[in-house]
Amino acid sequence: MTKHPESHGGYQRYFIETELTPDIVPWPNRFLVKVNRFQLAKLLISEIIHYRGDLKAITSRPCMYGVFSGPIGGFAPRPQHCVGCLRCTTQHPETVTILHNPERERLGDSYFTSNYINAVTYEAETGSIPVKGAGYPGKFGGEGWDGMWTDMSEIVRPTRDGIHGREFISTVVDIGEKPSFLVFDEDGEITSPQPRILSIPVPFIYDVPPKSAESEGLYEILATAAEQTQTLSIVPVANYKLKAAGRRLPGENIVPLVKLGAESHLEGLGFTPKMIEIEVADAPTSNIRHLISTIQSQFPDTIIAVRIPFGSPDALLQLYESGVRVFHLVADFHGRGTDGRFVMDLIREAHLAFVDEGTRDEVTLIGSGGIIAAEHVPKAIITGLDLVALDTPLLVALQTQFEGDCTDREGSRFNTPANIPLQWGVQRLKNLTATWRDQLLEILGAMGLREVRRLRGEMGRALFQVDLELEAFAEIEGYVSK
Amino acid sequence: MTEETTIHLPAIEKHVEHLRKGFDFWPTLENGTPPAMGDFRWPAELILSTWYQAGTGEPPTNGLEYRIGDSGGGFDKLDFRFLPEHQQLPPETEIDLAIPLNRRGIGREIEIAVPWYGGGMSFGSVSEQVMLARAIAAKEWGTFTSTGEGGYPDSLVKYKDHIITQIATGMFGVREETIQYAPVVEFKYAQGAKPGLGGHLLGDKTTITVAKMRESVPWVSLFSPFPFHSVYSVEDHRKHVDWVKTINPEALVSVKVSTPTDVDMVAVGSYYAGAHIVHLDGSYGGTGAAPEIAKKNIAMPIEFAIPKVHKYLQGENIRDEIVVMASGGIRTAYDIAKSIALGADGAILGTSELVAIGCTRCSNCERGRGCPFGLTTTDPELSLLVEPEWGAQRIGNLNASYAKQLRDILRRLGLKSIHDLRGRTDLLVYRR
Repeated sequence: MTKHPESHGGYQRYFIETELTPDIVPWPNRFLVKVNRFQLAKLLISEIIHYRGDLKAITSRPCMYGVFSGPIGGFAPRPQHCVGCLRCTTQHPETVTILHNPERERLGDSYFTSNYINAVTYEAETGSIPVKGAGYPGKFGGEGWDGMWTDMSEIVRPTRDGIHGREFISTVVDIGEKPSFLVFDEDGEITSPQPRILSIPVPFIYDVPPKSAESEGLYEILATAAEQTQTLSIVPVANYKLKAAGRRLPGENIVPLVKLGAESHLEGLGFTPKMIEIEVADAPTSNIRHLISTIQSQFPDTIIAVRIPFGSPDALLQLYESGVRVFHLVADFHGRGTDGRFVMDLIREAHLAFVDEGTRDEVTLIGSGGIIAAEHVPKAIITGLDLVALDTPLLVALQTQFEGDCTDREGSRFNTPANIPLQWGVQRLKNLTATWRDQLLEILGAMGLREVRRLRGEMGRALFQVDLELEAFAEIEGYVSK
Repeated sequence: MTEETTIHLPAIEKHVEHLRKGFDFWPTLENGTPPAMGDFRWPAELILSTWYQAGTGEPPTNGLEYRIGDSGGGFDKLDFRFLPEHQQLPPETEIDLAIPLNRRGIGREIEIAVPWYGGGMSFGSVSEQVMLARAIAAKEWGTFTSTGEGGYPDSLVKYKDHIITQIATGMFGVREETIQYAPVVEFKYAQGAKPGLGGHLLGDKTTITVAKMRESVPWVSLFSPFPFHSVYSVEDHRKHVDWVKTINPEALVSVKVSTPTDVDMVAVGSYYAGAHIVHLDGSYGGTGAAPEIAKKNIAMPIEFAIPKVHKYLQGENIRDEIVVMASGGIRTAYDIAKSIALGADGAILGTSELVAIGCTRCSNCERGRGCPFGLTTTDPELSLLVEPEWGAQRIGNLNASYAKQLRDILRRLGLKSIHDLRGRTDLLVYRR
């Protein structure tokens, strides 16, 4: 368990308390252990004869993780302890076979593969960064996020990360509008819009869960975890009140999600949200402008974000003209936009559209969809987001299972364990949030950056496979640039 | 916790006997390949073919893949454009694999007989037995191995002419005499598997012996800082070189760096700071423990860094004054040859040596007692699974197979010296 360090002089460093929170649903073991009992009996007999009464030698087993340490040893192996080291099968090929468990490999779907499932569940269980020996075992680069590496600084590192020590790297991000300049009248009074900023200590918020996973319990977990990690949880306004319990979710960190035409739901809210998200679909910009203005008059200090699918940059610029300053851009769960392109390209396009217009610093871009691993957060920010809204990783942290390929947000089927204890669920999400933040610190530290806000759009500090390959292999026969 | 343990030698001997039989048995493919063995970079066949080479000194002839992995990119997509058979050099042609490690024209001349040496693996990340095995093999093959950042066990001293002393950011185990022993001193600025993060040795492996060697506290995780806090510029690095030269004026200096986007500039800076060798460690390199996020996502694979550095040094007219050694995902003799064709002078091996002595790439090096095969462990009992002479023979056999393959590659390309292959991207072909 990692507890909060004591604060001094009123300043309290941001910290998420982590605690070992084991699975509540038994998941399939990673490996299957098959023992040929006849061969094992033969082996034992031969060792009994060979080592004549030397019990220590006879009972010494090849596994140091306890797979064969049950009451009857290898005759009833314990695969839950197997880590796949293969020592047993290496030294006894005729007796033991170790296999990957196909049931384990079927967890998740074609995008959220079992490797990602393993990482997220480890993070949610332990609150620790996955650290392992041996080099990277995966494919060379690849599609999407895998075709991108982050840069590092060989000697110029202004700070050391917040995990092991000394100096401080900020993961605070701002959500809201930041006008490029102020306008004053003759009396020196400001007449233009003023900055309206909400700061949160981590560059991720919790997105609204898909319909098939929705439950009052899940919303309570998400909202409570958001409150305890000081981030935000997007909740459809109709779900704000827990019907069965007759209670309300902790309000401070709730972002009510309102559909165009259903804004009347906001009236009974009973608190002033820090942010409201409106889902506008293909509504005319005049309607959007009117809606923003209506909500803003009701909640003058609240940030208003517009939730729309990743699409054409022109649509974003039109929304900007209508007064939208906070955009929540949504891809499907596999990170594909409506035109089928991957979210990395879509983020870059959206970011650069505002850069070209000279308005990038005035807006906030939040993105969700396809961000399923800790490394995807810095990569999404490098390509242009300010922060991300997490979706399926939160469900996986809560041991949700996928039914088939879960791509689209409306139709995908997820099975969340029934009756998840609130405290368990909250701690799993806190653990996940803590470890993703710690891994973000590792990336920022390696790059020599003091704050995540400086990472946004830093594409010069990223390495893209397509560019590197062209530079390295252009002269080599047979190489064709992708 | 103490290191007191009851070691029962007959039990160890039993396991050693079975393990060695297993290393010989599996490459025969009588049982196929172990179903759960291997990954994209090191598929089961590549592990088994390395076991085969370590057992026989020859590349396998039973169809086991020994040249490439299954990663779908980099070295695994590159191949050689061999000459038609009638234009190839005759089999009896003498082919030179030696490379010099000092191209500056002044100071000590050191040549290694084969274009590779062993990369740093610290005492603590691996056992003393493994360090010894690597050192014995390095001596036998006229090349080097490196201490890594964890000190210099006394048992290595008699191999000191073949051992590189590494100085890294934690300065663990660095003493004046270990610098004086070394023909080559290596400054480790970064490691490919965890660029920008410094070394990790988790608490379970910091035994009393390891802690003593590192002048630290037992059973506490040891994190080397990053970067060298005395080095924030090339000029600062120059001061480091001067410091080593004061202690050991004869030593060559190697600078081990990772592969950021400006790796070419880093190489030039290293040269002007007085380095003899710039050691590029790509992002797919090995490690005893590293955050998974770092292994996969930070800095570029070595295949991209080598030509970038090679061309830049050529542009600066200093290419022939500095030796470029490449590491980080170099698994086979073919990878060594491809690295050189891309522009390196030679390669540095790590994981392949461990595979030769039994590694299955299971990635459990960091946990608890460490490696179940006695490699990346500090456990006194597990360490006995690797007997240094046996390990040295296995690594030596792998070296023999690599040397044979390299000579064959050069012969089929019509080249008489490994030096002639350097930067010859025209001899490579990209397979789609």
